[in-house]
Amino acid sequence: MNRLDKLAEASVRSVARRTSRRSLLASLGALLVGGAAVPLLPIARGAEPPAKGAARNGGADDKAAAKAAALQDPQSCEYWRHCAIDGYLCGCCGGSQHSCPPGTEMSAVTWVGTCHNPVDGLDYVVSYNDCCGKSTCGRCLCNRNERDTPIYIPFQSNDYNWCSGSSKGNVAYHCSTARIVGQAR
Amino acid sequence: MGCQHLRTVWASAVAALAAAATTGAAPLPADPLSQVESLPLPPAPHWVWVNDFAFSHMANGKAMLVDGDSGRFLGELDTGFGAVRIVLSTDGALIYSPETYFSRGTRGTRTDVVTIYDAARLAPVGEIEIPPKRSSNMPMIANAVLTDDGRFLLIYNFNPAQSISVVDTRARTFIGEIDTPGCALAFPTGARAFFSLCADGALLKVRLDDSGRGVAHERTAPLFEVQTNPVTEKAVRRGDTWYFVSYDGTIYSVIIGRDGADLTAGPHWSLTSDSERAQQWRPGGLQQLAVHAGLNRLYAIMHRGGPETHKDPGREVWVYDLDRHARVQKIPMQHDSGSILVSRDAKPLLFSIFIESNILDVYDAASGRHLRTVPDIGTTPTIMVGP
Repeated sequence: MNRLDKLAEASVRSVARRTSRRSLLASLGALLVGGAAVPLLPIARGAEPPAKGAARNGGADDKAAAKAAALQDPQSCEYWRHCAIDGYLCGCCGGSQHSCPPGTEMSAVTWVGTCHNPVDGLDYVVSYNDCCGKSTCGRCLCNRNERDTPIYIPFQSNDYNWCSGSSKGNVAYHCSTARIVGQAR
Repeated sequence: MGCQHLRTVWASAVAALAAAATTGAAPLPADPLSQVESLPLPPAPHWVWVNDFAFSHMANGKAMLVDGDSGRFLGELDTGFGAVRIVLSTDGALIYSPETYFSRGTRGTRTDVVTIYDAARLAPVGEIEIPPKRSSNMPMIANAVLTDDGRFLLIYNFNPAQSISVVDTRARTFIGEIDTPGCALAFPTGARAFFSLCADGALLKVRLDDSGRGVAHERTAPLFEVQTNPVTEKAVRRGDTWYFVSYDGTIYSVIIGRDGADLTAGPHWSLTSDSERAQQWRPGGLQQLAVHAGLNRLYAIMHRGGPETHKDPGREVWVYDLDRHARVQKIPMQHDSGSILVSRDAKPLLFSIFIESNILDVYDAASGRHLRTVPDIGTTPTIMVGP
């Protein structure tokens, strides 16, 4: 296993254990994040030291393939657009990375991140619009905090419930999308 | 009722009579009907309130009260959708809780209120309607605070326009809103003053008149760097000083001057040495700092990780002397710690929770000794408040 693989293993735990607006129960995290796919360390997290107890060997080819698949899987926390997301993935809740599940409403305002797409090598501005109006979806919770800011810098903060800005004044949070707004320049 | 069951009942009755005859003890009296507990006032210094954000079912948040000395669960309040925190009155007799409700559970007309609870009976005794724009965010202490004299309750609004709702707890009325464009949360600095944190690193200083209306706003020059190493919103206060911590573990102090409106930047110092920074030690968590005024101690949850791990839990709490800016102790945590609170008394307890667990750990704050772990504390415990 190369260094990046070790780092990816380390991120299994850290991704699942972020403490933020929408964090998950430890058992749920192990089930959804650890069990669903082998997570991949986001590109910008390469400097993080390996966590104690990180896996050391075995199945390198399989893991590399799984990582590559996860990077392109909208239902994976490691999907490239999810670099600053914090919430339940709408793709697991009846919607997609850019659409809300039936019967919910997309928040008009939200926070944005800048994520790197390893396929075309470009950086994109990604808008994490929440879907609102129903109880919490509870599936595929994902929290990554690249360039996340405190809530006094609102539009780069994933600690707000952005359903607060929905047209009906409704704050019931259901899930989060990851819409491409445009290429980052 | 079957024959087998009847035989069992008779056998039990005969056995009980035989036992009574043997011991000579009178049979147990019938228990009273409708007995409901109440709590003594003022609250004991080692009680702690744990906020349950109830993230997987946000419509019914909770605040749960636990006795740190015994580990006994004493009771709870149901605090509505996206509950951020409760606020204890200065005398401990009442509890103020900013709450959000919908007329149809998770839809329908939204109503925001401050519910007033009797702290002994844990039952509502009053309600003050406020504008339905209370900020829904990961719980933070600065979401709702009292002015230093305990009279005015300040509640942060975000929709996404930013303002502060002012509630007069004495008259039990909503006074009005104070616009805080570009600035968030409320940090009290006196009986009639507070500040909000602004996106450029400045502070918005606000003064209130005796009716609770905002009468003066003034922005300081930027005090904090916000681009690469911002301070978190998770500040703690000791006397006339607010302590903020940045992502890399630098402590920035804001010193409150006369009347609470004169704010100046105090010294800044690091929680970590050069070698510790090289090893990427940094603070993290949702309520990552705590303070004890009497001991003059600052407590910080520490872990190793990169800049984007500023919300990660830690397995160590590092303790600092606030005068010398020197670390005096490291307390190992039994479990991941995302939020800490230190009780205010002379023999303080250190409480620790983590949102991804549902346990409360209790430590002796002086020795660092782990005293007990209290299980089954809600579903997603976020932050704590104490008397």
